[in-house]
Amino acid sequence: MSKFIVIGERISVTAPSINRAFAEKDPEPILTRAKQQLDAGAYYLDVNIGPAESNGEELMKWAVELLQGEFDNVPLALDTANMKAIEAGISVYNRSKGKPIVNSADAAGRIEYVDLAAANDAIVIALCNGEGIAKDNDERMMYCQTLLERGMEHGMEATDLWFDPLFLVTKGMQDKQMDILECIKMFSDMGLNSTGGLSNNSNGMPKHIRPIMDSAMVAMAMMQGLTSAIVNPNDLRLMETIKSCDIIKNNTLYADSYLEL
Amino acid sequence: MPFNRKPQKFNAQIKAVEIGVGEKAIKIGGENILPFYTFDGDMGNTPKVGVEISDMGLEGAVAGIVSYYEGCTTAAEMAKKAAEMEGADFVALSLEGGDPNGANKSTEELVAVAKEVADAIDLPLVVEGCKNVEKDSELLVKVAEALQGKNVLVLAAKEENYKAVGAAAGLAYNQKVGAESAVDINLAKQLNVVMTQLGVKPESVVMNVGTAAVGYGYEYVVSTMDRIKAAALAQSDTTLQMPIITPVASETWSVKESLAEEADAPEWGSREERGISMEIQTAAADLVSGSNAVILRHPQSVATIAKMIKELA
Amino acid sequence: MALNGIQIFKLTPKKNCKECGCPTCMAFSMKVAQGALDISACPHMSAEALESLSAATAPPMKTIKVGKGDAEYTLGGETVLYRHEKTFVSKTRYAVSVCSDMDDATIDAKIDEAGKVDYDRIGEQMHVEMLYVNCCEGTAADRYVEIVKKAAATGKTLVLGVKDVEIAKAALEVCKDAKPILNGADASNYAEMSAVATAAGVVLGVSGANLDELYDTVAALEKAGNKELVIDTTGATIKETFENTVQVRRAALKNEDRTFGYPSIVNVSKLTKDDKYMAQALASVFTMKYGSIVVLPEMTYADALPLFGLRQNVFTDPQKPMKVAPGIYPLNGADENSIIITTVDFALTYFVVSGELERSGVPMNLVINDAGGLSVLTSWAAGKFSSGSIAKFFQEEVEPKLKCRKMIIPGKVAVLKGDLEAKLPGWEIIVAPREAVELVKFFKDMQANGEL
Repeated sequence: MSKFIVIGERISVTAPSINRAFAEKDPEPILTRAKQQLDAGAYYLDVNIGPAESNGEELMKWAVELLQGEFDNVPLALDTANMKAIEAGISVYNRSKGKPIVNSADAAGRIEYVDLAAANDAIVIALCNGEGIAKDNDERMMYCQTLLERGMEHGMEATDLWFDPLFLVTKGMQDKQMDILECIKMFSDMGLNSTGGLSNNSNGMPKHIRPIMDSAMVAMAMMQGLTSAIVNPNDLRLMETIKSCDIIKNNTLYADSYLEL
Repeated sequence: MPFNRKPQKFNAQIKAVEIGVGEKAIKIGGENILPFYTFDGDMGNTPKVGVEISDMGLEGAVAGIVSYYEGCTTAAEMAKKAAEMEGADFVALSLEGGDPNGANKSTEELVAVAKEVADAIDLPLVVEGCKNVEKDSELLVKVAEALQGKNVLVLAAKEENYKAVGAAAGLAYNQKVGAESAVDINLAKQLNVVMTQLGVKPESVVMNVGTAAVGYGYEYVVSTMDRIKAAALAQSDTTLQMPIITPVASETWSVKESLAEEADAPEWGSREERGISMEIQTAAADLVSGSNAVILRHPQSVATIAKMIKELA
Repeated sequence: MALNGIQIFKLTPKKNCKECGCPTCMAFSMKVAQGALDISACPHMSAEALESLSAATAPPMKTIKVGKGDAEYTLGGETVLYRHEKTFVSKTRYAVSVCSDMDDATIDAKIDEAGKVDYDRIGEQMHVEMLYVNCCEGTAADRYVEIVKKAAATGKTLVLGVKDVEIAKAALEVCKDAKPILNGADASNYAEMSAVATAAGVVLGVSGANLDELYDTVAALEKAGNKELVIDTTGATIKETFENTVQVRRAALKNEDRTFGYPSIVNVSKLTKDDKYMAQALASVFTMKYGSIVVLPEMTYADALPLFGLRQNVFTDPQKPMKVAPGIYPLNGADENSIIITTVDFALTYFVVSGELERSGVPMNLVINDAGGLSVLTSWAAGKFSSGSIAKFFQEEVEPKLKCRKMIIPGKVAVLKGDLEAKLPGWEIIVAPREAVELVKFFKDMQANGEL
């Protein structure tokens, strides 16, 4: 089994400092956050440049070159609603540390992101969603099938589609949490990879609770076969949990210092 | 329909470590394939063969070894002769005489021997301690200091003394340092981690993950090496991407099959032939399991294993 | 080998017709993968899909039996490439090679010598299981048959290395009942050779100029209905042979290419000419790397002692520790009055300890207890190496046979001393050091102090 893949989520326009940095092409805040995440154990970095309707292509290229240049071709997830920007980003992307990830497709309006990934030999995050949130796992698997077929039609390896069950907020949808975990097990039984914005489950909870909730969720999800997550790697408790689960799952070899690695 | 070859590609590589200086310096490691799977990719540097001599001379050695070193009176002379052996890539000097439970030679005396040997040869040198951890923490530190500039490999830092040996050999005196564990994969990894945390560069570390003579719990050796190479290459575990050196001879020449005199076991035949076979077969098994260097004693074993590597590489 | 959902899904019609009772073909595939539904629940599976499914669930490597009676051996049937993943099931078998271009004296000597290696190692009888009888070009049929007869008389399983169909027929006439292997098929003669092997009811060996030719020939033989095969992976060079042997095994086990899912024959004697040391090195290499039968130029004790030890180790089930038989093992010329030292039956402990004890040169009786094949501390913790079990074993097995009443126990179970003294009246209990490497010094000290 391979190691759980942590995709660092902190380079995102939703953070005011990063939003400003993208707007002003100021490398410093972006590189600082990138370094923090990599030091904490992120493997991929998500680069969310927002809708970027006007200057997306140029902006994504700038971001890809900036990050890969500074951090030894760190692998990236390219995250924007502007498909052209993703393609532009891939055009300057160095694959030596891993394929680019297209973030993200769904089974409805954004299904063409699968085609985009296929055409560029990229990985795609495939959200098992249509219009609105799936009502149950039958529906999720229907979307999963649609996305998978689309990818295979376009010549993708099934393992390059990383299925996202869509983690749901516990405060409000507590009764759906086990469905999500069961859905992950289904992906895993199918031999498929999976990922998702795991910390959505703890949205709206007090700050000191969230790391605990996220850690519990990641442990249970990894048990079900989750292979990756888009998270905040600077959440120490979460990262320690992931590293420990990787040991228990025999994904990494134990050494007394494993938490420091 | 032709056979569909599916090469096993890894996005990771074993680090290449250089030992020695000048024209005869060697590199071990550097591969990104399983041992000798040259059909999958680049093997980097071919595995290397070392010839072991001892500060204790030829005590207990078989006739073929004794006659090879005929006329040598000092360790330096033996080292010169060892360096000329067909197939030899490096010389390994064992300072076993330092063992407090054995000859208990002083550190000064042994450092002088190491210095003499290092000065006598231009092949790279590996220095092995006496295996007593307290003595080695002093002895190997002094050896590392005395041989500055020679880029020797010091065997080895262990869990109990890695701070002293690792810091001296790997940091202060800029030598290469061995990290020794005894068929314990978690400890092998841990030692690499703590040594690098000390500040030793990963490119200065060579692992001795332990060995046994074939027949003597050798399955643990196989699985340890298989799993280390799998972690290093398939899981890209950077803490295990150091090359592996295996001192074969000290294990194989001390088992019954190589010690029993013909008089004690007449049906077994020549003791020397048994010893050679034990050394060759163990070394061959170590190499296909992932050793990047082996340390041997008998001229026949050295020649055969060197030839085998050439044939397979 | 079970298929996962995605592999099954690829075979489904992907129509989501719901006739199987599942909402989607994806859900159906998942249920089949879990074993909750049978594939036949889908009415739309094509015949080809069903066939590829049943092929995919067949074992990745066939199990082939050769020889007869006591000399029957199972080859192949492996499921993993590394022993730690599960276990290797069929150990490498060794053959000594004789060739029709050797003179009679040489052939007799080789056959005789191969028979001499025969010894017990931790409960396993070690001997050369097979003879490889090679028919070189230009040999007359009766000459070859004569050698085959000679080899067959040993009772060892034969591998007939013969490319000529008529000679093969003649040779099989005199030995087919003992189920030899006919190692003779290649791209030029496979149809005829296969017919000969099938008629005689023996396994057929297949070789090829390269992996592609080998692959095609095996595929053609399978298509013709012969699946009783072994693959001769010997190439022109050592390097090529290593590649062939690894590629064939890896194709079968890792890449699920069942055409190469057969045991292998590696003919080392062909590669090493007169270099017996290289033959030893390669014997080791191909025991480690996927030789089902390894053909060697000779097998003396010098060859055998390391090789059989290696094989015994590599083919041990990782889940089951190797055990030595409990009992009294006299060392260094011990008699009934020599001092007694005792430990557990874990093979590794036995080897390490007995090695050190032999090095000490002190005559003594090593008593191995039945401790479930566990190490000293583990068996002690599990209650299998307790004062009670040791005392019972000594009363029943040791006291009637030995006169000495001094027992040395492992340092790691020093706590047993008091209990043992209470349970074994008349015995003096001495505690050894904790580590085996300290034993030699321990005995030297005892000797120096006049305690022996």
